[in-house]
Amino acid sequence: MTDTTQYTRQDWQSDQEVRWCPGCGDYTILASLQNFMADFGVDRENVVFVSGIGCASRFPYYMNTYGMHGIHGRAPAIASGLAVARPDLSVWVVTGDGDALSIGGNHIIHSMRRNINIKVLLFNNQIYGLTKGQYSPTSERGKKTKSSPWGVIDYPFNPVSLAIGAEATFVARTIDMDRPHTQEILTAAYQHQGSAFVEIYQNCNVFNDKAFIALTGKEERDVNRIVLEQDKPVVFGPDDAMGVVIEHGEARIVEVADVGIDAIHVHDATVENAGAAFALSRLSHGPTGPTPIGIFRSVDRSTYASDLQQQIHDAQAARGPGDLALLIAGAGTWEVSD
Amino acid sequence: MREYIDGSTAIVRGALDAGCTFFAGYPITPASGILMAMMRELPKVGGVAIQGEDEIASIGMCIGATLAGSRAMTATSGPGISLYSENIGLAVMGEVPLVIVDVQRLGPSTGGATTVSQGDVQFVRWGTGGGFPIIALAPSTVTESYWLTAKAFDLAERFRCPVFVVTDKELATTLTTVDLESYPTIQVRDREVGSGGPPYRYAPADEVAPLHEFGRGATVRFTGSTHDTGGYITKHLPTVDALNRHLSEKIEDHRDEIELADADLEDGAPTLVIGYGVTGGAVRAAVAEARRRGIRVSGLVVQSLWPIPETVIRRAMEGVDRVVVPELNLGLYRREVERIAAGRSVVGVNRVDGELIDVDQIVEAVT
Repeated sequence: MTDTTQYTRQDWQSDQEVRWCPGCGDYTILASLQNFMADFGVDRENVVFVSGIGCASRFPYYMNTYGMHGIHGRAPAIASGLAVARPDLSVWVVTGDGDALSIGGNHIIHSMRRNINIKVLLFNNQIYGLTKGQYSPTSERGKKTKSSPWGVIDYPFNPVSLAIGAEATFVARTIDMDRPHTQEILTAAYQHQGSAFVEIYQNCNVFNDKAFIALTGKEERDVNRIVLEQDKPVVFGPDDAMGVVIEHGEARIVEVADVGIDAIHVHDATVENAGAAFALSRLSHGPTGPTPIGIFRSVDRSTYASDLQQQIHDAQAARGPGDLALLIAGAGTWEVSD
Repeated sequence: MREYIDGSTAIVRGALDAGCTFFAGYPITPASGILMAMMRELPKVGGVAIQGEDEIASIGMCIGATLAGSRAMTATSGPGISLYSENIGLAVMGEVPLVIVDVQRLGPSTGGATTVSQGDVQFVRWGTGGGFPIIALAPSTVTESYWLTAKAFDLAERFRCPVFVVTDKELATTLTTVDLESYPTIQVRDREVGSGGPPYRYAPADEVAPLHEFGRGATVRFTGSTHDTGGYITKHLPTVDALNRHLSEKIEDHRDEIELADADLEDGAPTLVIGYGVTGGAVRAAVAEARRRGIRVSGLVVQSLWPIPETVIRRAMEGVDRVVVPELNLGLYRREVERIAAGRSVVGVNRVDGELIDVDQIVEAVT
């Protein structure tokens, strides 16, 4: 980041026509991301966007910076290679619920586990949009789609729970329509050193409209949005009358008046133990009821690339720089002369 | 009676009529239609259809289900075949009957998801390591989509191996008017289920032992490693040699049971047009048009891509000095024809921009 450069959203817009269905939540997320990059003064030449396959994966065409539209589910692998080879770059993965959690489930958990410095934005719309309406690993049970005409019998993933279980050092959730909140989360993810996982509830108005109405509807959102704030008691609803307590590893919703404000869980995303973050994540099934958004977890651990650099440094300090010719020749070679 | 139907639906119907009881697939354009139809139709006949978490899982589920007694099919497109690769090898090595539909789209990689192509014809042939024979059938019409799929189930049982049905985006997704009487009945053999005795047979090399299923009769083992006739891992040189020769010869020595082509030959015609798949339709139309213009020409539509119907092609080439091979790639199958053509002139008509080959392009090439 340089102090002298002033960016606008236009600097982050590419010359490509944005091609999503009219009304898609992806437009809002794109605008949020472009605004964040400009407002925060991120230099374009230091940023890479990597995607897989799906509606969300068109993202790299629209961000005016380095980008790769790769193959289905493999973006975390490609991004891992990038981030380890060039630790100075800010590497972002844009993915969806099918791309990241179905075909890419393996890569996503291992990139998290290794604390590779990538920012994963998972656009969760609980449906396959690009292939026109099959169920996804986040589709709710019973849902009837084109590939589940008798209803889904899979149990869905809870992406935030999965990321916490996969050792991600930064885990957050936001909502496409809430641009200020999205930008706040993007800023925190950008500043985090290590694997950052951001689930973004994204409305697919064509194949799964109003999936997140409990959190976006005018009447519903005030009742159901639990906004997690660092060092503050987890309260929500009109007049903050509702709250969350955590007992025996389980988060429960209570009326604050019933238990007293001191009994309400005070949110701290920075504790190394992931128990409370996981308990909070379990409140978000659906989401058809009260659901937390915000930063669940943000802890400091050394990144894969920094540990790797340290190993290389230590190895060279202990044994000197490598000499390939010497290695090949070894000690047991000799010259044959006539 | 006539109906309005696409190739995907015909494939699904062919599979169901052949006794398919298990399907697993993953959404991918232009093969999702088969997945969605199977998810809808298979439960109605007591079968199982699953949307896997990816293509690797989907074909893996099919192999597991086959070993448990199912007749299984999966369907995908080029990028999915890439992911099927290791499990295709497992099915070849473990001699697991299985039908794999490849709805071709323009590649490589994501390529053109909604764009027609015939770029996978060598890919299905050599799509897994080791270099062993594979069977691949290629329908050129909706009717053929039906009966060649049924035929694929039959051959999978006969030879205990994966069998491809190679179609494409246009054939699979375009609605066509079809005469109901045009669907032939294909006799699909019942599975011969082994009970006791070794689950594999390598002598004579071309013979195939009955499939032993899990949970039925004697306990058996399957493995992706080289194995003896009992299914146990081995590096015993004569056994490994016998296994590998068997995997090849069980198909190569019985090509006459597999080779399929639709030949429309004209005595004394100097030119022969050879096509397959969606291009086969253009070949038939071009031959008719050329003859209407007084040009003597023969046509041949290959239905078994692998093994290539060599006997029929040799016969069709008698007296021919020029062979035209139209295909939606840059000559991937032409090289097979050249091998058989023994010095005759072989010309390609090729298109890789995502559009179909025009009848006129072929007529021009035979003129």
